[in-house]
Amino acid sequence: MPILKDFKYHAPDSLKEALQLLQKSPKPMLLAGGTFALNTLKKTAASPEDVITLRKIAELKGIRREKGAVAIGAMTSLDEVVSSPLVQEGAPVLAEACSKVATTPIRYMATIGGNIASRFYWVDLPAVLMALDARLEWIAAGGSRKQGELADFLKDHKTKGILTRVFVPPQGSLSVYFRHTQTMDVDVPVLALVFSAGLQAQTLKDVRVCVNTTMAFPQRLRKLEALWQGRKPGLLNAEEARLAMRQDLSTVKLDEYRLSLLDADLDSVIEKIGKAA
Amino acid sequence: MKTISLNVNGKVYDLQVRDSELLIETLRERLGFKGTKYSCLEGECGACTVLVDGKNMLSCLMLTLDAQDRKITTIEGLAPSQGELHPIQQAFIDEGAVQCGFCTPGMILAAKSLLDKTPEPGPEEIARALDGNLCRCTGYVRIISAVESAARKLK
Repeated sequence: MPILKDFKYHAPDSLKEALQLLQKSPKPMLLAGGTFALNTLKKTAASPEDVITLRKIAELKGIRREKGAVAIGAMTSLDEVVSSPLVQEGAPVLAEACSKVATTPIRYMATIGGNIASRFYWVDLPAVLMALDARLEWIAAGGSRKQGELADFLKDHKTKGILTRVFVPPQGSLSVYFRHTQTMDVDVPVLALVFSAGLQAQTLKDVRVCVNTTMAFPQRLRKLEALWQGRKPGLLNAEEARLAMRQDLSTVKLDEYRLSLLDADLDSVIEKIGKAA
Repeated sequence: MKTISLNVNGKVYDLQVRDSELLIETLRERLGFKGTKYSCLEGECGACTVLVDGKNMLSCLMLTLDAQDRKITTIEGLAPSQGELHPIQQAFIDEGAVQCGFCTPGMILAAKSLLDKTPEPGPEEIARALDGNLCRCTGYVRIISAVESAARKLK
């Protein structure tokens, strides 16, 4: 018995052709790396009429520098992101996070665009990209090219179109990514914390901290960011930081386990950036 | 149904496949490469591992039509000639890294992908490279030893 229900497969060579197929089909599904999408098809009763693979569209591949930002094509595999010198130099914390996603074969297959477009906010990349102030570019169903915030895209399940690129703006020299899993490293995190900042006259600037509690949408810790902005990295107070973090997360019901992990992570961030600076 | 050419183990097969057919189904049911195993079918266990353009990927998560224009290698295509084993296969036997053998094709192909890229990996690198392959009887110590041993032989 076949594993997947029948559908019609399309492999367009261009975005224009892909958009036409997307508009024409009553029940379409876009296919990137397939690691989320094909698994979902195995487990749900619903089935698409048309599956449109994006793997032949050259415009969606590759990593390049554009106006100072690192522009990553949506069909770039996670392994390609990990090994890219441009990402390693321009956004090392993204390379690190991608290297920790799932397993080696999944990283060879899964794409950064597919990871985002699946809108699974609890996996590694959304929180990291939010901490890096990443922006997305997509082609709307009507054909117009749009750009927007990652968080808005993740929350909007109605937007129809094709995600084309991820832009990561220039980053400061300090970054840290901590993730915790329930059993093994290859698991989805139960908690993750991302820190990114630059240094100016030996003080922190452009401080960005984002937490993925996996229980709610990833959240930027604005009070903590404001607290650390302009401070010297070697003189950060852990108690103050914990208090700010708790205020930031006051609307999220966090269990003691996750809170204690966050406390420990904040201590580690303070220690790590103190040494690095 | 679509007509395609599929390059498996260096031979090109002209096939008619369903649009929704997974690569594992084509390899096993149409071409008879039974070393590629059905197991979790969710990308968790690595028993369905094949090499796609030299990289270990999961045939339960790839449509056959997406495998066109790519070079597929199954465990049957690894040995250099009939009656001769690939050094990684031999190392798995020599080191006692095969017990029930169900995970072995996937493990060996993942090891091949690693050694092609990193000829002298340490134990941690090997464990990390094989993180997509589960073994439930042999245990990982002998498997890692076998990959280390194969690396020495392939030098």
